Amino acid sequence: MNPLMLDQIVKQYAGHTAVDHLSLQVEEGEIYGLLGANGAGKTTTMRMVLGLIHPDEGSIRYHGQPYRTELQAMMGYLPEERGLYPKVKISDQMLYLAQLRGMKATDARQSLDYWLQRFDAMEYREKRIEELSKGNQQKMGFVAAVIHRPKILILDEAFSGLDPVNVEMLKQVVLELRKEGTAILFSTHRMEHVEELCRHITVLRRSKPVLQGDLNEIKNSYPREKVVLRTASEIQGLDTIEGVTEVVRQDNGRYMIRIEQEQAAQQILQLAMSQGAVDQFEVKEPTLNEIFIKVVGSSHE
Amino acid sequence: MNKLGAVIGFTYRNKTKTKSFRWTTLVLLMLLVVGLNIPYFIQLFSGQSDKDLVRIGIASGSYQQIAEQIKEAADKTAATKPAAANNTGNAGAAEVNALRGTGVTRIEWEAEPTDAAKLRQQIEAGKLDGYLQLQKPAAGETFPSITYVSEKNNAGVQAMLQAAAQTAKVRSVTSGQLTEAQLNEIGTPVSLTRVALDDMKGTDSKSGALTMENYILVYLLLILFFISLTMTGNMIASEITAEKSSRVMEILITSVSPLTQMFGKIIGIFLVGLTQMGLYAIVFIVHLMLPYYQQVLAQFDIHISNLSWEVAVLGLVYYVLGYFLYSTLYAAVGSIVSRTEDLGQAVSLLTVLTLAAFYIGIFSMTNPDSMLMKISSYIPFFSPTTAIVRIGLGNMPWWELTISLIILVIAIFIFGWLSAKIYRTGVLMYGKRPSWKEIRKAMKAYKI
Repeated sequence: MNPLMLDQIVKQYAGHTAVDHLSLQVEEGEIYGLLGANGAGKTTTMRMVLGLIHPDEGSIRYHGQPYRTELQAMMGYLPEERGLYPKVKISDQMLYLAQLRGMKATDARQSLDYWLQRFDAMEYREKRIEELSKGNQQKMGFVAAVIHRPKILILDEAFSGLDPVNVEMLKQVVLELRKEGTAILFSTHRMEHVEELCRHITVLRRSKPVLQGDLNEIKNSYPREKVVLRTASEIQGLDTIEGVTEVVRQDNGRYMIRIEQEQAAQQILQLAMSQGAVDQFEVKEPTLNEIFIKVVGSSHE
Repeated sequence: MNKLGAVIGFTYRNKTKTKSFRWTTLVLLMLLVVGLNIPYFIQLFSGQSDKDLVRIGIASGSYQQIAEQIKEAADKTAATKPAAANNTGNAGAAEVNALRGTGVTRIEWEAEPTDAAKLRQQIEAGKLDGYLQLQKPAAGETFPSITYVSEKNNAGVQAMLQAAAQTAKVRSVTSGQLTEAQLNEIGTPVSLTRVALDDMKGTDSKSGALTMENYILVYLLLILFFISLTMTGNMIASEITAEKSSRVMEILITSVSPLTQMFGKIIGIFLVGLTQMGLYAIVFIVHLMLPYYQQVLAQFDIHISNLSWEVAVLGLVYYVLGYFLYSTLYAAVGSIVSRTEDLGQAVSLLTVLTLAAFYIGIFSMTNPDSMLMKISSYIPFFSPTTAIVRIGLGNMPWWELTISLIILVIAIFIFGWLSAKIYRTGVLMYGKRPSWKEIRKAMKAYKI
């Protein structure tokens, strides 16, 4: 049984539909990407998974069973708008939150020390949240979400607002949790993180799932439309090849060529080789970012 | 249950740890100590301790016998007031003709001199506080007219002297026609006490209910109710709003059920309030125990033993029930508001309600059995104050009391349930303060 299964869930708020017939499954040890523009229904979906609100239709199953309060001890949540008690010592509030998740005080203390060490933040143990930098506050929010070793972890915009070093640190932790078998539902606006971490994704557009499935399959289903070419000298006649729609020569001497059919790529290569040495030639597969923009439209920020 | 304990503990520890809480408690404690000691300080600065011995001479003239009778009568009054007599420290000085009247002032009679001019000199020399001058009686009377000559205007001493003179006068006028017992009876003032009609009919257990002590107790209970309710109520609301605005609420509601969270908060803050009130109570009781304070109380004829336990216990029951009724509503209001700045306006309705309960109680203390009070003691928001006024100062038959308590308990459940619903909805709603309609809509949408 998968840790998390959403089956045709629908949620309506005062006239408009926030989530429209969404189904997805998160396996053990999987990071599932939930993508969508702002207001597409990601947070509502997450709130339903957390049991804060109930779906109007459809069902959510946890290891095959419906929601029950014991699940609170098994779930971890990092909200998009994160926050902790600004004026309470970190050790105090972390232990409190762990206790609320059903942990014993001694276990909680051990776990807290482990995570603080993991995040290289031991010196903040006795500090208050308001004394910390924004990035460190984010890390503490993450600690609060994982301190009780949840089986199901929900991360809303996990890496937003962090510097690259901290993003890398958090990414490693997320991967480590995945290895331990945690089912992770993950939302972000940073497509490169999704490409790096997720196996399956769902893209929501105006409450509806518009793109869903295995990330590689999705990518393969989109035609490869971009060719990168770098040569020593200028190439003549690139735009006369059939299927080429756009040729851009960048300042560093690289050509970015947009094509309609993949066969055009071979003709480009032949033309280039006939005119001089080719330093680089690549038929680019579409990035998730491009797919996302294509699917969701320009409303994405 | 475990989680409830965690919420209570966390709330309590964090609230009592804050600087603002510690300072307000400390400052209020100091104010209380100063306030309780004001009578003592007044006594100290007015030189009362020096004055507890008043030396008085008598210019008796030709009324030697009456002068003796006045002295004797003053001594007798002292003997009939044993409770008041053993307060002053230096009992050894109470030898010759010494008298303790009100428990603060003692009169020492000087036998010599008896001449008015010499007595006046003695006053100027500071050896004497004053003297009585007996002079020719007014026309048609036999008892001499008496003047008290003194630099100081001391009403206590004058009252004592007047009482003694009155006794002497009765003795002198009746001149041996009455027995000693009859004279004593004339001397004692008539006592008039009010007893409520109900107490006459019922058992004697409530006969002490209408004492001064109970009046003070009821007054204190009302003030306690008002102050602690506004204070703790606002604490609850602002704590919840703070959790919401700092967004830690999102984590909390996924860890604990809103009901546990809300009641944990309410009980935690209740204990905080109890701690604060307990500290004040300890300071208060310690003062009451102090010897000099007993003396002050005795002066006003107040005895702690006269307190009715019934009023005290029921008062606390109503206080606790009232607290839970109001605090659930404060929690609900706190959950609706997203920003601390908007909180004051949102709780204003509850503040008005508390004020109304307080004022109905306070202004009806002299008229506790009015129709307004009878009706109010059934209304859950007012009954914590009005019922206690009726129990302490008026009559409240046991069945009315039972009904009032039952209504209050039912109200707690209804409003507790409603508040929990609002709380669940409110904590998920951000942005401007929602209207009732929006909350109802959201409740429906969230299926709460």
